[in-house]
Amino acid sequence: MKISRLIALSVVLTCLSFAAWAQGKPAPKDAVLYFVWPQDGTTIKGGFWCRFGLRNMGVTHAGDDFQNSGHHHLLIDVNEPLDPNEPIAQDKSHLHFGAGQTEARIELPPGKHTLQLVLGDAKHYPFHPPIVSDKITVRIR
Amino acid sequence: MGELRDFKSGKSGKPPRETSPRRLAAIIAGDIAGYSRLMEIDEEGTHGRVKRIERSLIEPSIAGHHGRLVKTTGDGFIAIFDSPVEAVRCSIVIQQDMVGRNASLPRHHWIEYRIGVNLGDVIIEAGDVYGDGVNIASRLEGIADPGQVYISGGIYEQIKHKLVCGYESLGDRKVKNITDPVSVYRVLPDPAAFNRTRKRRERILIFLLSLILLVIASGALWYVFWLPHGKLGRQASAPVSLEMPKVLSSPPPTAKQAAPLPQPSAPAAPATPQPAPQAQPVPSVAPDAKQAAPQAQPASPATPATQPASVIREPEMKTLRGGSFTMGSNDDVTEKPTHQVTIKPFAISQYPISVREWNECAAAKACAFVATGKDDAPITNISWSDAKQFVAWLAGATRKAYRLPSEAEWEYAARAGTQTKYWWGDQFQPGMANCKNCTDIAAAEQPIKVGSFKPNPFGLYDMGGGVDQWVEDCWHKNYLGAPADGAAWGGGECPSHVIRSGSWKNDAQYVRPSNRDSYDTHVRYPTHGFRVALSP
Repeated sequence: MKISRLIALSVVLTCLSFAAWAQGKPAPKDAVLYFVWPQDGTTIKGGFWCRFGLRNMGVTHAGDDFQNSGHHHLLIDVNEPLDPNEPIAQDKSHLHFGAGQTEARIELPPGKHTLQLVLGDAKHYPFHPPIVSDKITVRIR
Repeated sequence: MGELRDFKSGKSGKPPRETSPRRLAAIIAGDIAGYSRLMEIDEEGTHGRVKRIERSLIEPSIAGHHGRLVKTTGDGFIAIFDSPVEAVRCSIVIQQDMVGRNASLPRHHWIEYRIGVNLGDVIIEAGDVYGDGVNIASRLEGIADPGQVYISGGIYEQIKHKLVCGYESLGDRKVKNITDPVSVYRVLPDPAAFNRTRKRRERILIFLLSLILLVIASGALWYVFWLPHGKLGRQASAPVSLEMPKVLSSPPPTAKQAAPLPQPSAPAAPATPQPAPQAQPVPSVAPDAKQAAPQAQPASPATPATQPASVIREPEMKTLRGGSFTMGSNDDVTEKPTHQVTIKPFAISQYPISVREWNECAAAKACAFVATGKDDAPITNISWSDAKQFVAWLAGATRKAYRLPSEAEWEYAARAGTQTKYWWGDQFQPGMANCKNCTDIAAAEQPIKVGSFKPNPFGLYDMGGGVDQWVEDCWHKNYLGAPADGAAWGGGECPSHVIRSGSWKNDAQYVRPSNRDSYDTHVRYPTHGFRVALSP
């Protein structure tokens, strides 16, 4: 009873020490990452312009270390949790917009797909805590 | 019944007495802590006080709890009780009374008893009591703290639900001259005492815990900040330091080199001084001869005192014959449509460009940054424009047509004459490429040095997995309209270019020679590198 509570407390406190590992820049408190388009549940025929929204922060080129800025990444059908200690993965389901793009032409095969935005810092690390949008689901006809 | 023998003496004894000499009893052993010290301070006073205590407290308490005082020694007493509950009650009463008696005195004058209580089958004879039961009680008293009552497991079992007080288990103690360890409990007569114990234990545990956490946290911080990291080739965009240039001791063995490709000059040749630091690298090595002609040129004044003897090291190249192959696949929409491509003969580097090779360009101030990390590791964090800068420098410095391969050349080289899904066949095999979940390499060692895996049939290493590799072509989302002559498809300025091979962080699908991806032209990423090609 008392012992198990102490053990639980110690586990939690140990995990706090791993906060030293978090590599990304600290997130500004009121940053909001969101989809301008599409919205959750939208059905789209064919390709579409995916438009990324960012509030209370700025978009800049990857590699540039300006305060209060980052660049977009679009995650398509990604189910693994984001690892805050690694740069955001780069592959065909993690689209990087390191040149500061705020929209992209997306073409997906027909069916349901999930989309999520993650903001990365100069070195492509997620901020800490991560600045992510809602994960939305769209249907492609 | 017949006579009973007196087993002790061996002769037939008298009929058994009405009261058997053996009995189950609760035995209290009490002793004054530090009696000698008290006697030393004040012999008569102490003696008097002890006698008064015995008369006014010990004897009445025992009698009042239906026990019998068996004997008193100078500084202690032994009592037996029929009831364990009464015995422990009596002990508590004595101890609490002593607290009151000591209240008005300074600490070093306190008379404190240690009390041990045990349940045992003992021999009672005249004025004394004998047996293991007594010895255990004495030993319990001996280990008790002053003012405390220690009870054995036997007593505890009898009283735990009857006498309402706290019991702190002290575990099993080995007791002198007794074979089995004895379960010891400390009696806590009031809730305040219980809380004090609990708080003390809590404090000790919390202190130890925070100590451990501090050690873990400082270990983590040390690892992150002070351990030199080579894994991702953390790079500074700082200006190049002229201490960087490497002195090569021996040229790499390239026995299979075709004739048209000159060997890097032997180290015996006198040093060719570095190009002077300028925005445009100045070629200072005569490239046409097999060996660089020794040139005696004054060292640039900006170089440090130790003038390094550096030779432009050219990457090890493999000449490929060229020919026709089917480019693309049906596995992914970006790889369609498959189409025939004819490749002209060209050479491609056997390995991705390494940190060491990159840093030669950096030393010549022709590349944007100095790379950190192991020399044999592939260079990473390279944008397409960085790769273009390198090949421009290499071509200029060697006066040879070094360039990035086109995407068609890259795929041709990666397929190595095969048309299967992977160059070794249609099934993926772990251990063939450096990709995610394909090898046992620890994350901290990535990217591992070039050439750590088997080469493909063309003798090329790390074509698939390892580091991503830029090619010359602009990104097109599929092959509709792709050229058939092996040339780059729209190189030059475009927002994103083609990147091939996949990296150690991508899964096996990215190892396929037909796999293709795109990335922004001027952006660096920690798994992106490149290899070079050479036109004949």
